[in-house]
Formats: sequence, C-alpha cells, structure tokens
Amino acid sequence: MKKADFLVALEDVLQRDEACNAEDMLEDYEEWDSLSKMAIMSYFDKNFGIKITLNQLKEIHQVNDLIQMAGSKIDD
Amino acid sequence: MISFNKEQIFIVTGASSGLGEGVALLLNELGATVVAVARNLERLNAMRAKCKFPENMHIEIKDLAEDIEALPQYVKDLKNKYGKFTGLAYCAGIVDIQPLQILDYGSMQKLFNIDYYAPLFLSKGFGDRRNNVGRGASIVFISSIAAISTDRGMATYAGAKAALISSAKVMARELASQGIRVNCVSPSDIITPMIKETEDNRTIETFYPLGAGQVSDVANMVVFLLSDKAHWLSRQNYIVDCGCI
Repeated sequence: MKKADFLVALEDVLQRDEACNAEDMLEDYEEWDSLSKMAIMSYFDKNFGIKITLNQLKEIHQVNDLIQMAGSKIDD
Repeated sequence: MISFNKEQIFIVTGASSGLGEGVALLLNELGATVVAVARNLERLNAMRAKCKFPENMHIEIKDLAEDIEALPQYVKDLKNKYGKFTGLAYCAGIVDIQPLQILDYGSMQKLFNIDYYAPLFLSKGFGDRRNNVGRGASIVFISSIAAISTDRGMATYAGAKAALISSAKVMARELASQGIRVNCVSPSDIITPMIKETEDNRTIETFYPLGAGQVSDVANMVVFLLSDKAHWLSRQNYIVDCGCI
C-alpha cells in the first residue's frame, strides 16, 4: 500500500474531518481513543496480516510510527 | 411535551408504511426534519401527502439490501445533502415465517440483509462522527417481541431480531463516548400492512387485553427515545406489548 493511501485510510478509520500527515502526533488527535486503537489493531490485522498489541500501541506517538509498524506493507 | 426543530434531522427507514411511516409522520409533526427512506416512490409520496410540514419531509428512494457495504457511504451522501443527523430510526424490516422443514439459506440471507446487516451498516455511517451532531444524537432500532418470546416458524426472524438487540447494546457502548444513545423498541403484533399479510386481525383483537397495538403506540415510544427527554436512556430494549407476552 502506498503511504498516501494509508494516510487516507487512517483518516477514515479515525473519522477525522482533517487529513492525516505522517508527522502528526497521534496524541494530538482527539479521535485517538481506546476504540480507535482497537480499530487500528483490526485494520492492521485485516489489511497487512500484522497483529499488534495494545502495549505496542502505547509506544507509538507519531503517525509515522504506525507506518513503521506496517514495515514493507506500506511503501512510498 | 416533546418538540423538535427543523435543524434536527432524522433518517427514518421503512418510512413508506407501517411503523416507519408512523415515526416519520410524528417526528415531522413535532417539528423535526425527516429524511424518509424506502423503496417505493408512490407509497412515499402518499405518506408525504399526509404529513404536517411537507417542506421538512424529504423523500429518498432506496433499496437498503441492494449494496449493504455501501450503506455507510450512503449515509455520508445524505449528510452532504441535508446536514449532520440527530437521529436514525431503523424501521425497515421483513418477516418470513419458515418452519425448519422449509428453511432455506437464500431467504434467510434476504431477511438478515434487511433485519440485521443493513441496520448495522447504516449505523456505521451514522456513528461516524463526521455524519452526526454528536451529543444528543441517538439511534432507535425496531426489533420485535419475537426476539424474546419465540414461536414456531420464527427461527430466522427471531434470530435476526435478537442479534440486532445484542449488537445495539455493543453499539451503545461504542458510541457513548460521542454522546450518542442507542436503543431498541420491541413491539408485539401491531396493526400494520406487514402484519395483515401474516396474521388474522380478529385473533389479534381478542388476544390482547388492551386491544390490538396501533402504529401510534410504537411511534410514540420511538419518538420519545429519539428526543432529548430520553437523554439518560441508552442500551435498552423497550418492549411495547401492553404487558401481554
């Protein structure tokens, strides 16, 4: 998946009115709540076959960190 | 006294007849704007002809079963057309009496599409914070007494309606952080065109000690739950059966 496509998908999963950028801090998103974290975990599992844990998500601060977690599944 | 203003916009599905029609007409009478969704234009127009404020009654022709997965986008399109929604009353439904010996997967799927999958996918669209007004918004699903008190031939219908109640409770939890309430209303036999196809009215009249349930009996409950008067009520299934079942 292209990075740009992932950013659009993330915007949709988080139901944001504004676009997501790789440099954004997730903590700054008011939509970044426990339910959204569950949704992201499910999204990664279904789309990338990657199982991530809540503990892993605790270590994540930037949108870019999410992109890193997808590894080769997201490219530029 | 319950009242709404025209900035409060409600989606009502199954709005061309029976319970959906009753809910659409009552919401409109109390001042709300209604987006009335159903399959049949003629019947939608007949409903609209009865309403108090036609300028606040918008008609949308749609077969909800046509493309279930596209329903969230459908809600988004409606939002772009009318504005953010205050409520969703899911009143579309089909009944199919199928004893085990004639149970068939095709008609089960048809029933589950309208009675279970469509309400969930519409809720996915409605619950998207970009499409609703947030605090004060609410969803009411018409379930059925069949979900609780089952009878022969109702395996599929009862299953779908019970599943809807359970899923509604989950949605109530998920949407609570947005201030959105989710409830079900489970009527017993109500005198509607759908019931007239399946039951004998005379039996219904004599079975219920308070007389047969009318559309208004259910519509009043649904509209109350959609109103601010019910602002502390969520995650419940309200049985409307005159205490009979």
